[in-house]
Amino acid sequence: MMSKSFLLLILMIPQLAMISAAKGDLEFAVDGSESGYRKLQIEIYLEVVNEERDLEIWIGMPNANNTTTWELHSIIFARIANTTASTQPDPGTWYDDGWISVEGGIWEPIRRNQNGSALAEIVGAQSAAIRMELTGMPSGKEVRVGVLDHGANASRTFTDKIAELELNSINAISSAVDDAPPPPNTSPVLFAIGSIGLSLIALLATFRWLDAKDGRTSSRSAHLYIAPALLALTILTFYPVIYGMWLGFTDADRTHLGDESFVGLANYIEVFTASGFLRVTTFTLIWTVVNVAFHVGLGLVLALILNQPNIRGRVAYRTALLLPWAVPSYISVLIWKGMLQPDGILNDILGTNIDFLSNPSGARTVVIMVNIWLGVPFMMMSLSGALQSIPTDMHEAARVDGIGSWSRFRHLTLPHLKSAIVPLSLLGFIWTFNMFNVIYLLTDGGPNLWFGEPGSTDILITYVYDVAFREGAYGIAAAWSVVIFMMLLSFSWIYMRKTSAMEAVS
Amino acid sequence: MKDDLALQWYVPLEVTTLRVLLPIALTVQMMATCLDIVRDDQISMYLSILGVASLTLLIVSLPDGTSNTRRDLSLLSSGLVLLIAMLHFAASYRSFVDIWTFSWLIVPAFLSLLWLSNPRVSEWTDLAMTPKMAAEGLVRNGVLRPRWLAVGTHVLLLHAVMLSVFPILWVIDTAISPGNALGGKFLDAVTVEHFAYILRGESFWLWLRNSAIVAIGTTILGLLLAIPAGYAFSRWKFRGRESGMFAFLLVQMFPGVIILVPYFLVMKSLGLLNTWYGLILAYSVTALPLCVWMLKGFFDTVPRELEEAALLDGCSQTQIFAKIVLPLSVPAIAVTALFSFLAAWNEFLLALTFNTSNEMTTLPVGLASMISATGQSWGDFAAASLLVSLPVVALFIIFQRFLIEGLSAGGVKG
Repeated sequence: MMSKSFLLLILMIPQLAMISAAKGDLEFAVDGSESGYRKLQIEIYLEVVNEERDLEIWIGMPNANNTTTWELHSIIFARIANTTASTQPDPGTWYDDGWISVEGGIWEPIRRNQNGSALAEIVGAQSAAIRMELTGMPSGKEVRVGVLDHGANASRTFTDKIAELELNSINAISSAVDDAPPPPNTSPVLFAIGSIGLSLIALLATFRWLDAKDGRTSSRSAHLYIAPALLALTILTFYPVIYGMWLGFTDADRTHLGDESFVGLANYIEVFTASGFLRVTTFTLIWTVVNVAFHVGLGLVLALILNQPNIRGRVAYRTALLLPWAVPSYISVLIWKGMLQPDGILNDILGTNIDFLSNPSGARTVVIMVNIWLGVPFMMMSLSGALQSIPTDMHEAARVDGIGSWSRFRHLTLPHLKSAIVPLSLLGFIWTFNMFNVIYLLTDGGPNLWFGEPGSTDILITYVYDVAFREGAYGIAAAWSVVIFMMLLSFSWIYMRKTSAMEAVS
Repeated sequence: MKDDLALQWYVPLEVTTLRVLLPIALTVQMMATCLDIVRDDQISMYLSILGVASLTLLIVSLPDGTSNTRRDLSLLSSGLVLLIAMLHFAASYRSFVDIWTFSWLIVPAFLSLLWLSNPRVSEWTDLAMTPKMAAEGLVRNGVLRPRWLAVGTHVLLLHAVMLSVFPILWVIDTAISPGNALGGKFLDAVTVEHFAYILRGESFWLWLRNSAIVAIGTTILGLLLAIPAGYAFSRWKFRGRESGMFAFLLVQMFPGVIILVPYFLVMKSLGLLNTWYGLILAYSVTALPLCVWMLKGFFDTVPRELEEAALLDGCSQTQIFAKIVLPLSVPAIAVTALFSFLAAWNEFLLALTFNTSNEMTTLPVGLASMISATGQSWGDFAAASLLVSLPVVALFIIFQRFLIEGLSAGGVKG
């Protein structure tokens, strides 16, 4: 009974034409009739394309205060140069399929750059039309679509952009709506939680009864005291872990949730045969090992220096060196992102013009360096705590006996520190292995040279996030999680074995 | 010839210092060469290669106390280094980093010129030292070494401080510079427009409200769960005590990743996505093991005699807990509370995954969205992040010791 809402509007944009008469004008049309589930199709017509331009497509959603919240949906880089450095993914393998038709010619799939952004090649074109499928629209809700010609006035502020969008936008609605959103089948989860909770309570009650029978009266309320914490822990940690292991064997995804079915090892086969499995695992290992080595190494050097007697301004130095740890990590990472931009301050002070994050090996180096910056202060502080616990009289005795500072460090300090370094580096290993924020905020796994695969700087956890929440493949993501957990467990185990073996030798 | 021990052992501190300083200068100079290659600046590239060459010559020719010519050669090459450094600086000064590489060239070269021409070193290289002079020299070395070491330490620390503080200076500068674009000189103009924009806008207050509710809720719920459990584990022997404590330890070993997807689905099934309660539950359970262990450790240090006396006086267990133990443990509870609060305040991943609606966004996700979605308004972001992180940084610096101990004890941050 759903009436097909059909909207096709063509709007001229007088403002833009006025600002950039020489660049020709820009028209666009939006169509929600045929494009499919949660999609809108936009067509942008460029006339007199003699200059490169960046077209920003913005989507406005009505919000609670009856105004519109505008968000940048995608950018199309219309380029005159031959875009040979780009790839042309097959339709359906990347977000937002796009096509371009030059001077009324045939529709060809649009090329993509390393980040996956659209590159429209407009070599020698008098006019061009770009068609793009905008995914991720709200179902059955009218949205506003606007196009900004970024090349026309690059220095516009966000407020200016919004003002322009408010003036020139098209209302559209995607026709294929959710057929009555399937209510997630909560009963299995609720049943599981309920039964786990009840059995835990029963267990505690039994323990209490047994204790009372044994005549332990002083601890009468003990089970009552630990019950809330234990319940929370069981329901919200142990149960999800087991549920996750089960999900790894099912075909759960965005549309099958609650009615997932058992598929055996299919997800695990998918994980191990995924192209890029080896690459992302290798990079995760490099990322972790390099980071932890530098964290511990630099942290140790700084801790040793700061713990020397008679350093003036020790407190000031310590406080300044602590800052990277005190600032919330997501903020630090975004600060680094700002400094690393092509027009950012790092290029300014180096006197260079490098796009640090667009080149795969450059981006890998940069993410590692930023994470080193983030992690050194914690190691420094922890190790300096450990250093302070070393008795000084032994050092003094060694010094009086004329033992050199290196030998004192090697044979007195280091063995003492080992009991701190071993667990700290294991902890650092686990944290770094799972360091989501740095990669996600700095590069989001990009630059992406392989479509539908992990990007150059993806580590395992950011890739799992993509699989789970961008592709919606919960079952496969759960299988990945289990594989990652096993890796982490085996690395930690090997590490413990190695270090304790070393301890036994020395 | 050098039969005397003092003569045999004596090397002027100047020379020893140069042996350390010059290789560092060489490393810096090699980095500068790489930079010049990246900049694609022909002249300055040749000049910096010349600089590297003359510096290498200087290092190779440093006097070893055997011949006079080495000293002369190294004096000559120091002069050469000085000359090349100045030429290089004049030819290719572009930015701050050039001043740094320049000073790393000119200061060591100048010092070697100064020190190697000093009479004491000359006597040493001329082999004109008497054992007495050598002995005096050794004493002088012993006096000077700590001082020079202190200078070197400060230089090193200043480098480290600059690296660690620089991004923070940048964000302050960006927050008070007009315009949202990057670039521009350091502190060329000052404005409060970004702070005004952030404080006048609705979204910042919305994010702040959500973050505050979630963080305070987490703290309260976490404490309500953790205090009784920590107390019970610390005070009483009961069936299931060891396995219960082991359960709390075991959870520490699960990395967040294995829980993320099923966590999301459980929250989805319970209808707790896009609510405060979902995040409060998730955060308090994540912080729970650490809080329980921290509090247990503290309760272990509270003397039992007080409680035993109260028990004899006829107090009930609950009364003892509420009237004696809790008031005594206020400091420990405060640190635990601070810990859960900060963990919830700074958490990004779960907030990003659970709360996707604009109404329920927390500060971390909201601040990140200022960079990704809205065309990168750096000025506004910088102002907002200063507002958010200043109180957190202050808390961290005041309570650093406790937080470090807590974190190393457990490891919830990952």
